[in-house]
Amino acid sequence: MRASPVADSALDGLRVIDLSQGIAGPYCARLLADLGAEVIKVEPPDGDSTRKLGPFPGDVPDPEKSGLFIHLNGNKQGVTLDLDSGEGRAALRRLLATADVLIESETPGRTAELGLGFADVSGEFPELVYCSVTPFGQTGPYAKFKGNSLTCMALSGLMYVTGDPDKEPLATGGEPADYFGGLHAWVSVLAALELRGDSGAGQHVDVSCLESLGVADEYNTTMYAWLGAIRRRFYSRHHIPTYPSEIFPCRDGHIVVIGGATGFPLMMAILLEQPELEDNQLFQNLWLRTIEWEKFEKILRPYLMEHDWRDLLTRAQELRVPFAAVMSPQTLLADDHLSARRFFGEIDQPGVGKLPAIGVVFRMSETPLAFGAAPALGADPAEVAEASK
Amino acid sequence: MSGLPLDGVRVLDLTQVYAGPTCTRMLADLGADVIKVEGLTRVDITRNFVMPENNSEDDYWNRSGYFLLRNGGKRSLTLDLSEEGDGAGVDILKRLVAECDIVAESFTPHVMDKFGLGYDALTKIKPDIIMISLSGYGQDGPWRDFSGYGMGLEPAAGLSSITGYAGGDPLRTGISFTDPYSGIVGAGAVLSALLYRRRTGKGQYIDLSEQEAAVPVVGHALMDYAMNKREPERIGNRSHWYAPQGCYPCAGEDNWLVVTVTTEDEWRALCAATTNPEWASDKRFADLASRKEHHEALDELIAGWTRGQDQYEAMHTLQGAGVIAAAVLNPKQALLDPHLRERGFFDRVKTERGPRPVPHQVGARFSAFEMPSARPAPKLGEHNRDVLQGLLGMSDDELSALEEDKVIGDTPAPAVPLPVMRMFVQWPLVSYEQMGALGVIEKDYRKQLGIE
Repeated sequence: MRASPVADSALDGLRVIDLSQGIAGPYCARLLADLGAEVIKVEPPDGDSTRKLGPFPGDVPDPEKSGLFIHLNGNKQGVTLDLDSGEGRAALRRLLATADVLIESETPGRTAELGLGFADVSGEFPELVYCSVTPFGQTGPYAKFKGNSLTCMALSGLMYVTGDPDKEPLATGGEPADYFGGLHAWVSVLAALELRGDSGAGQHVDVSCLESLGVADEYNTTMYAWLGAIRRRFYSRHHIPTYPSEIFPCRDGHIVVIGGATGFPLMMAILLEQPELEDNQLFQNLWLRTIEWEKFEKILRPYLMEHDWRDLLTRAQELRVPFAAVMSPQTLLADDHLSARRFFGEIDQPGVGKLPAIGVVFRMSETPLAFGAAPALGADPAEVAEASK
Repeated sequence: MSGLPLDGVRVLDLTQVYAGPTCTRMLADLGADVIKVEGLTRVDITRNFVMPENNSEDDYWNRSGYFLLRNGGKRSLTLDLSEEGDGAGVDILKRLVAECDIVAESFTPHVMDKFGLGYDALTKIKPDIIMISLSGYGQDGPWRDFSGYGMGLEPAAGLSSITGYAGGDPLRTGISFTDPYSGIVGAGAVLSALLYRRRTGKGQYIDLSEQEAAVPVVGHALMDYAMNKREPERIGNRSHWYAPQGCYPCAGEDNWLVVTVTTEDEWRALCAATTNPEWASDKRFADLASRKEHHEALDELIAGWTRGQDQYEAMHTLQGAGVIAAAVLNPKQALLDPHLRERGFFDRVKTERGPRPVPHQVGARFSAFEMPSARPAPKLGEHNRDVLQGLLGMSDDELSALEEDKVIGDTPAPAVPLPVMRMFVQWPLVSYEQMGALGVIEKDYRKQLGIE
């Protein structure tokens, strides 16, 4: 149920049927819900697959208590439908008759087998924006491959350039390809709705998580396409002339050391409390520092190990040197800055209790965003009937 | 095919570098007329990154591959907004606001106010204006004045705390992760505001913090802390949920395969496909819990198989058997991948130095329209005349006067002299190669890409 309906929200009056499972599709639908759309999550009888995935309170699996599911499905209503039955499919069609957007994440071809593909429903519901979100898209040789964020990291080229040179390529934590896919689906659905505002027509949107992540590639394919250079992973270090711009250990944790445009040589020398370093060639010459980085680190690392991250961060920023914090869940949830910005909301999740809501990723002056608990599993036939009206 | 969703929408784009330009690039590809504003003393720094053949001669600032990726399809207007410019640039900007639907900016908070271009001021010029500010840490709060570089914001969003080898330090992704991430979030925020304006006639102001934008990716770990007061461990390429999962070496040099097994069926399929049926009956791997417990031994067995395999063939073998697997492609292989090719993921943009592949900017295909992804980036000041005469009706004499006063122009006037910039713009590729930060530099890359 929606905890805090907002009268004048950005997407007021919009109804979304979220047939998707996993991370990408549900995250897209959740963003629409946060903006004020009415989102009805349609789950199979045994629930969205993420209900089986932790974290769970006390590590006890419970489909009503998955932290991942709650994070991705807050602020939605829920019904269950068995699409393998004619009755379930008929009920879905009744829901579609009232909907503006459908989001689905089935293996390409599966909805068509059920008679629920875009071609099957677009005649009856010409205004429907029908969004498919899958790892590799609806077409192409890998369309029916099984995929997840890791496979997308691998095929996008991003994994190859992440990690240490003497180790295996490293995937970014947190299933990033799914989140990128969810964001691209969200933007695409909004664009299709904007177009529908003029044309009156819906359409099919085919979102590939691989391509959504691939677009994020900063300059790696470009380095090959513009000068034939194949970039390798090198401690996540940039080729763009900024060394250092990476994470180092310090006395009580870690700190991101970035010199920025104006940090070297003077400000960094002051920060390290060794003014004579201003004249050091490694501080004066960017390319020398980049190439002889091991010599530079012999100066940097011992100092960092004698200081705490908050002290380093504060003093660096006072000198306009863009150091940054390495935040963790604990420090994020307790952080003064995020707290002052009221970044985390709070939901009361039935059976679990109070949890942080991580929905408000930007602020709009006229249309506050909403957040609410995730739906319980289990169809309430009355609710389906009500929703179909 | 119909028109594009944002046909008729005009964006005044004051953003620079990566996040903001990603946001406005998406709007441009969706049909918006995006006018990118740069000062001659404050040219977008990405005009200095990734030169064809690493060459920094002549007007190199018009040839950057990096700049093209984020700015293709936009129009370029130069305007001096500095205090020395006597406010002529700022006055022109105000007149342009009246002709625009959206203003996007990525200055440090309060710079726009200093120009007299804060949201309240803009609404006096154009009541239904939509304004978006993209900044490192947002417009308020104790860190609002922090200098925020993309390289720092991924760790600040918490993502690095869950990225890294087992037992090792936190690591960053090999890109500035939060930049493209928050750029896309920004594009969605603007589209939401446009839908609201369509319904109500009202504009609004959007405050986007790049740190905050990416925090949802850490959602499961935040929930774990909220539920169990447990901080995450870094687990390399393993999964919290499934086993086995990992990145395994293949035949050849620096070739790898990722594999995930999520069900008992997939586990049996992996054993069969790798012709190791005995793994399936090994008690150490009997179920998920035991496979997690004996993950290391299992990794060695899987690597024993992958080491003799071509990475692409191994992907097809395992996927053919119903196992989640993929080759770890290097950037060149990604450019040549048959799936991405068939999907048309890489378009070809025409440049002065020949055609080059560029990725589509939205990871989606639309049945009702086709996105114009392969447009070149504007040269610095290329559309000065277009914009100032076309939108503001300025005369030739007025334009000449602005050129003379260096309010507009087509050549950067950086703080460091241009000859120094030309050295900085050439990357020390040979040194990178010796360090191991580059694999090889292939002289015949254009032939290999089929773009000769």
